[in-house]
Amino acid sequence: MDFANLASQLNAGAILPEGIVIITLLVVLIADLIVGRAADRWTPYVAIAGLLAAVGALYLGWNRLETVSFLGSFNSDNLSLVFRGIIALATVVTILMSIRYVEQTGSDLGEYLTILLSATLGAMFLSGSEELVMIFISLETLSIASYLMTGYMKRDLRSNEAALKYLLIGAASSAIFLYGSSLLYGLSGGSTSLAGIAAGIANSSQSLGVLISLVFVIAGISFKISAVPFHQWTPDVYEGAPTPVVAFLSVASKAAGFALAVRFMTIAFPSVSDQWQFIFTALAILSMILGNVVAIAQTSMKRMLAYSSIGQAGFVMIGFVIGTESGYASMLFYLLIYLFMNLGAFTCIILFSLRTGTDQISDYAGLYQKDPLLTLALSICLLSLGGIPPLAGFFGKLYLFWAGWQAGAYGLVILGLLTSVVSIYYYIRVVKMMVVKEPQEMSETIKNYPALSWKPFGMRPLQVGLILTLITTSLAGILSNPLFNLVNASVADVPLFEAAVPIRPAAPVSLQVPATPLSAVVPQSAPQAQTLNVNLRS
Amino acid sequence: MNLAEGVQTISFALLALMMIGAALGVVLLDNIVYSAFLLGGVFISISGLYLLLNADFVSAAQILIYVGAVNVLILFAIMLVNKREDFSPVPRRWIRKGGAALVSVGLFALLGTMVVQTPWVIPANLPATTSTLIILGEHFFSDYLLPFELASVLLLMALVGAVVLARREYVLDDEASVGEMPQLPLQLPERPKEPVALSGTSAPSR
Repeated sequence: MDFANLASQLNAGAILPEGIVIITLLVVLIADLIVGRAADRWTPYVAIAGLLAAVGALYLGWNRLETVSFLGSFNSDNLSLVFRGIIALATVVTILMSIRYVEQTGSDLGEYLTILLSATLGAMFLSGSEELVMIFISLETLSIASYLMTGYMKRDLRSNEAALKYLLIGAASSAIFLYGSSLLYGLSGGSTSLAGIAAGIANSSQSLGVLISLVFVIAGISFKISAVPFHQWTPDVYEGAPTPVVAFLSVASKAAGFALAVRFMTIAFPSVSDQWQFIFTALAILSMILGNVVAIAQTSMKRMLAYSSIGQAGFVMIGFVIGTESGYASMLFYLLIYLFMNLGAFTCIILFSLRTGTDQISDYAGLYQKDPLLTLALSICLLSLGGIPPLAGFFGKLYLFWAGWQAGAYGLVILGLLTSVVSIYYYIRVVKMMVVKEPQEMSETIKNYPALSWKPFGMRPLQVGLILTLITTSLAGILSNPLFNLVNASVADVPLFEAAVPIRPAAPVSLQVPATPLSAVVPQSAPQAQTLNVNLRS
Repeated sequence: MNLAEGVQTISFALLALMMIGAALGVVLLDNIVYSAFLLGGVFISISGLYLLLNADFVSAAQILIYVGAVNVLILFAIMLVNKREDFSPVPRRWIRKGGAALVSVGLFALLGTMVVQTPWVIPANLPATTSTLIILGEHFFSDYLLPFELASVLLLMALVGAVVLARREYVLDDEASVGEMPQLPLQLPERPKEPVALSGTSAPSR
């Protein structure tokens, strides 16, 4: 059986973007191994080029005819394409902001990029997995890479502490998720594909076993998106971890978690949709209230953004729980915008801490006098996160709340509006600190602010990232029509759970699913396809 | 009940007793070395259960990986951190212990109820498998191909990460010093990491 046949039979073209990321990862690793530290000058750009190529490959894969690949393990539908695009772009911006940071802390850039790229790979695979084993392996790839990156600053005690906490809590949540998955395997009579599970548990939908497995799976997912009862790791990890890693965790890891949630809940649990809707509503309410209220009291910028990201996850969950088509579309739209505004804010924080070595909010006082560009970018990003009208975040929230209102989730929307007002308070506080203070009220740090220079190594990419996120955050709201079209087209094939219970034709032997259309497309591969199936069934 | 079923029942009971006893010992004993060895007992009993379930390869892998690698690693870690320290007793410790016991018993009751209540779907006529290894291999290279390949990336990344975390870069003397007092390995001065790309000079590799 020759290779081309096999590849077309498995529909291997669906994972072309991930293949590009793997090759980039290997190139970076081997270049670092052979050339040594001198390779630090160009390996980040190789990584960025690879990720952009992956985004291009994602674009080429839009509207594939045959989306299921690798015998049902992976589904490269339009929804997964958008999620994978969000993750890859988030990594690009993260790399832009981390070159200088990693160099200045004296850590190795090559290994950092390798681990970051494998985290991206895990997150991208997670967005399209439709099978329990695949979901677990990609989830672990993402998680283990995240633990490693959290502890990357070996000589920083806070980084070590954060990594250990993250590892312990993450391992516990993985175990809980795995227990829920194994229950599902048993309840459905030995099926690991999500569609097969839905078919298997359709009859016994109200049994205690299904509910317990639902709760355990949701617990595992909520840890990834740091929804409130499972959020305890977030502030400590965000404070201790290297700042670019925090930026990655707050956007890419969260997007992957939402992708997993949408896929798992809509495909595997359509029969208990009331129950999971209820659980996620509770999580959304708690996240919005706690995240936004506790953020007021924070004095460290990173901790404040940690709690704000919990609150933002609560807003995104509104779009998820209402379960309508516009709900999913608004969730994707908000994630796309959140990518740029949150990463923009983190870029600014990194720039500030590189120049001054602190991230206390009080140290930002009077920054406007010394660094207008940084002040402008940070203000725009924070105001956009708060949802002030002409900026992108306002349109994202508007769409989310509009979709929620249409679906009749009045309570959630009103709570979202109220907590948004609270969030505006603490975002504006930082802006006021930077802009309004008189020159004599300047903090000591600002008085000693170093002269602006973009010349040193790694500053130029940081500047590019800053400008890029600034422009996108300012304009993506006003010029949002292409984004609207993108997200609306991508959610067209999400199974809505109001529909009848069997979402897809339930396949008892899931191996057979891709065989028939493929043999129609590639006639000469038909005999092989059949022998493959026969072997597997025996 | 014929002979085969009787043997099966008795070995299940023995293994379960072993496992529960060892697991309780792991949690309740104060000496951490005993706990580590009892953990090995838990792993071995689990592999016995796998054997009863016809999963011979998984059982062998369980012994090789968990007993042979993980448990030995835990013992190494305990012996390397050979630090005797008497912990001051926490006041009101029984409240915490009681709380933990309560949560565990509650969870056990919930899961037990679930196991008893649920109508498990058991396939009626399972074909007798002679070699599970072949079936596993078939799955690895058919429907589980993608996770199998992704696991290789996962392992590569874990390897790189482990090296990064464990690496210490020592300053090595140029000439070997014969006859001098050797320095203690943990007190070797660590070479300060100079950011090469920052300084502008393209110094050779490490």
